[in-house]
Amino acid sequence: MKTFPIRIGTPDGLLYWGDVERVVCRTITGDVAILADHCNYVSALGMGEAYIVLEDGTKKKAACIGGMLSVMDGSCHLLATTWEWEEGIDKDRAEKAKERAEKVLNTQGLSNKDYAMAQAKLNRALVRLSVKG
Amino acid sequence: MAANMKAVKLRIKSVQSTMQITKAMELVASSKLRRAKERSENCRPYFEELYNTLKTIASGNTDFSSVYAKEHASEKVCYVVIAGDRGLAGGYNGNLFKALERDAAGKEYSVLPIGKKSVEYFKRKDANLLSEEFAEIASVSVGDCFEIARILCREFKTGEYGTIRLVYTEFVSMLSQVPHAVPILPLTELTETDEEKASIRNLILYEPTSEEVFDAIVPEYLAGVVYGAVCDSVASEQAARRTAMESATNNAEEMIETLNLHYNRARQASITQEITEIVGGAEGI
Repeated sequence: MKTFPIRIGTPDGLLYWGDVERVVCRTITGDVAILADHCNYVSALGMGEAYIVLEDGTKKKAACIGGMLSVMDGSCHLLATTWEWEEGIDKDRAEKAKERAEKVLNTQGLSNKDYAMAQAKLNRALVRLSVKG
Repeated sequence: MAANMKAVKLRIKSVQSTMQITKAMELVASSKLRRAKERSENCRPYFEELYNTLKTIASGNTDFSSVYAKEHASEKVCYVVIAGDRGLAGGYNGNLFKALERDAAGKEYSVLPIGKKSVEYFKRKDANLLSEEFAEIASVSVGDCFEIARILCREFKTGEYGTIRLVYTEFVSMLSQVPHAVPILPLTELTETDEEKASIRNLILYEPTSEEVFDAIVPEYLAGVVYGAVCDSVASEQAARRTAMESATNNAEEMIETLNLHYNRARQASITQEITEIVGGAEGI
């Protein structure tokens, strides 16, 4: 299958660059898959599972949270706030983060900001667990 | 002569202790620089990709429905100025403020300062400050950058400011750091005025709409750009300090050398005088 160049970057560094067959990730409107020869396209990333399919057909999964996805003249740029490969995720930590966040959400009298914070933390933990799970 | 000798000796001692301090500061700066450089190198690709991608999007953009993409009527400029926490870094802070003054000449502006020196400078100038929360650049994290981005977005949306510009010091190499003032909002400011570029406009598909996409992307973009600039500035500060302290140490060494020469000369002179006195005394008997 035809491949196209992609660069995946986060504030911690450029995590992947090279040719891939397909990239699938969650945008603010839902999951999208990008194949070669895609038209120029820009969207914002949501929270969710993502994966890329390499030239030789291997699938690499990752947790992807926030950022932007753009395709310009055939090359794809995926700039995420967080991008963690499946093998880099600490399941126990995510599990604990989930429990902590749930505990906070269950307490009474939270301020809006605290609630949003806990919610975001829970979502992050859930995304990580779903990728790892 | 004896008094002169003592004075020179004291002087040597004081220069020596200054040299010790500059030497220590140089060592501290170089170890901090190593870490800062690593961080800056790590996030530089992201910073560049982000800026370039947004630039391509902006130059190809034909849809100006989002607040961030439109040109604003307001003449006011908001500067995000990233300086250091401490002085004694050669021309680091001075050059940055000079670059800012050059860029801001004749404009009405407000500032969001990052770094203690930056806060102090604008307080002294009585400029309008958006926030003083980020007075310590050493502790600015990605999270803080998102906070900054939120503030900037809020201010920009109110229409108070026509443009947002970022003033920071680019880390070119260990020996060279260049202050820059770059536009970051609105997106139309990012486009190059190149005629050729403007003629090849490609259409871009925004999903769901350009407005929603920009609303979601711009805060991330601001945070990313500010974080990149902070990393670069921190590395630049340490590099500037290291160079400054290195030359200070060298100067001190040179001074000690000449002072030693003076001291020896004074000692020699006092001995000669003593001998002459003795000889003169002996002759008198």
